[in-house]
Amino acid sequence: MRSLVTLIMIGLLASVFPANADKSRVRTLLNEIDDMWRGQSSYAITTMQVKTRHYTRSMKLEGWSKGKEKTLFRIIEPLREKGTATLKSANHIYTYLPKTDRTIKLTSGMMMGSWMGSHLTNDDLVKEARLEEDYDATISFEGVRDGQDIMEFTLIPKIDAAVVWGKLQLIILADSHIPVVEYYYDEDMLLARTISFSAIKTLGGRQRPSVLRVVPADKPDEYTEFVYEQLTFDLDLSDSLFSLSSLRK
Amino acid sequence: MNIITLAARNVYRNGHRSVVTAAAMAFACAMMIVFASLIEGFVKGSEQNIVAMNSGDIQIHRPGYRDDPDIYSLMIDSADLCNRIRQAGFATSERIFAFGLLASGQSSSGVQLRGLDLDFEPTVTLLNRQVMLGDWLDKTDHHGVVIGKKLARLLDVSLGDELVFVGQTADGYMANDTFYVRGIMRTVSSAIDNAGVLMSKSMLRELIALPEGAHELVVMRTDSMMNLELASQKIKALIRSDLEILNWRQLMPIISRFIETAHVQTLIMMLFTYIAVASVVLNAMLMSVFERIHEFGIMKAIGVRPWQIVRLVYAETFIMTIVASVIGALLGSGITWYLQNHGIDMSSLAEGISFSGIALDPVWYASLSSESVLTPVIFLFVIAAIAVIYPAIKVAVIHPVDAVHHH
Repeated sequence: MRSLVTLIMIGLLASVFPANADKSRVRTLLNEIDDMWRGQSSYAITTMQVKTRHYTRSMKLEGWSKGKEKTLFRIIEPLREKGTATLKSANHIYTYLPKTDRTIKLTSGMMMGSWMGSHLTNDDLVKEARLEEDYDATISFEGVRDGQDIMEFTLIPKIDAAVVWGKLQLIILADSHIPVVEYYYDEDMLLARTISFSAIKTLGGRQRPSVLRVVPADKPDEYTEFVYEQLTFDLDLSDSLFSLSSLRK
Repeated sequence: MNIITLAARNVYRNGHRSVVTAAAMAFACAMMIVFASLIEGFVKGSEQNIVAMNSGDIQIHRPGYRDDPDIYSLMIDSADLCNRIRQAGFATSERIFAFGLLASGQSSSGVQLRGLDLDFEPTVTLLNRQVMLGDWLDKTDHHGVVIGKKLARLLDVSLGDELVFVGQTADGYMANDTFYVRGIMRTVSSAIDNAGVLMSKSMLRELIALPEGAHELVVMRTDSMMNLELASQKIKALIRSDLEILNWRQLMPIISRFIETAHVQTLIMMLFTYIAVASVVLNAMLMSVFERIHEFGIMKAIGVRPWQIVRLVYAETFIMTIVASVIGALLGSGITWYLQNHGIDMSSLAEGISFSGIALDPVWYASLSSESVLTPVIFLFVIAAIAVIYPAIKVAVIHPVDAVHHH
């Protein structure tokens, strides 16, 4: 009798453990990818280039982040928009407009609007989600594809997650875990945009892609490209940096 | 003796009764004229109102602009188009639009900026007269805007308050400026009510870096008698074929149908009025003949033939109808003329009447036309002729002895 119980126990454990191991591995990997850009705190100088059918423009931004709730961006170039700053604190976005010396708070109705004329929405900033927290992830492919040893994750939003996407697909390099490309699908499971990562170099003390290119699926000839020029992690940033008063600087 | 002379003498001799009969007919005729003019005024007024409030007779856009109001969906040669349209005898005005965020204090809302040509907009619409509070736009005021009623409530702003706008310029930069509330619009359309920010075209051009072109051209007939379809055809012939040209009936099919239905409903109402008028006239004619049966009996007794009696009755009726129609037409036209210029103010009954997002003018004006006068006059003659058939035949065939003894 005892041996039977033991057998069942072993059988159960055997069936549970691999899955658990797989889940925790996915979790570890996703956290690693999330942390690639943020750490506990960060400071970055980025050039953003936006190309649309009607204009091409670039701007230089500096940004600070602390934890996952606080982010501050400020435009340093071009002169015309210098000083324009965006503060994300919890789920609110404030924009400081130097031209009129006013700070405005974005309402929910504006969340799907373009951020600074780019192909990102204000919502993208607010919902800068932790993949691991908001999605149920599975490894949907592992091996060599197009000559690269890769891992492909398929991420389905958790039921209660406030996410606008229907599905995400994330492809990372198998050895370095550096992201290669991320596909965003809308609620009808149609491809909405692609973010590709390239130009791997040493940034903030480790190898990471320094270029992110966002391409909307409905306008394949347009893009927004972020080039990291400088990235530093784990600085001692005070909370007062992420306040409305420092927004105006 | 000449029948007409005899009839005229009869009418004159029975002065009191003739006056009552003619007065009844004249009053009925005047009523019909006023009523017909009011109906025509309602139909015309609703059209003019809808057209003049905001839409204009005809609008020109790039195809697809109405579904997806893209800032780049621009008619770049709009100034040239306007010139051509004006040379062809139409009034026209350019409009440009932009979207963005308008904030005041802690509240903000998505808005549509509407850049209007302050010189030409008043030639196509009456938007400038729809300011509820404050003043209409002024070219010399570079920061004043006029906003919708509900938007003002949403942002909790009143006259003179500051507004901050953030949007995007056509060349991809941030569009940002502060305005102040110069005026608040009464309900014109739900779009303006909820999210409309009206400003001068030049202000908006500068704000969104759009030096030329327009998103919308509004065209108005200068000759209100010109058929709308014909006007659309003329405009189509004037400009490039790759633009979408729609008249207000096509732009607002629901409103168009509503007016048509209202027209039919009022026609039915009018039919009832006509029936009521007919019974008044019939009654008057019956009285005027049957009161004189005794008299007709004597005429028969001295040898007047039935056919002559019928002609006599008809001649009398004809004379009275002519007098009644002249008086009625004059009276009816007079009242209509007054109502055409002064209107009936319905605003005390219902404030801010609107339908399907389009506000209607609360003052009801009559519209005097040859048709609205002639139709009732002709109808009066027809009714009078029908009304006397029975009494005329009745007295024509009556036995002289019975008639003489009739009381």
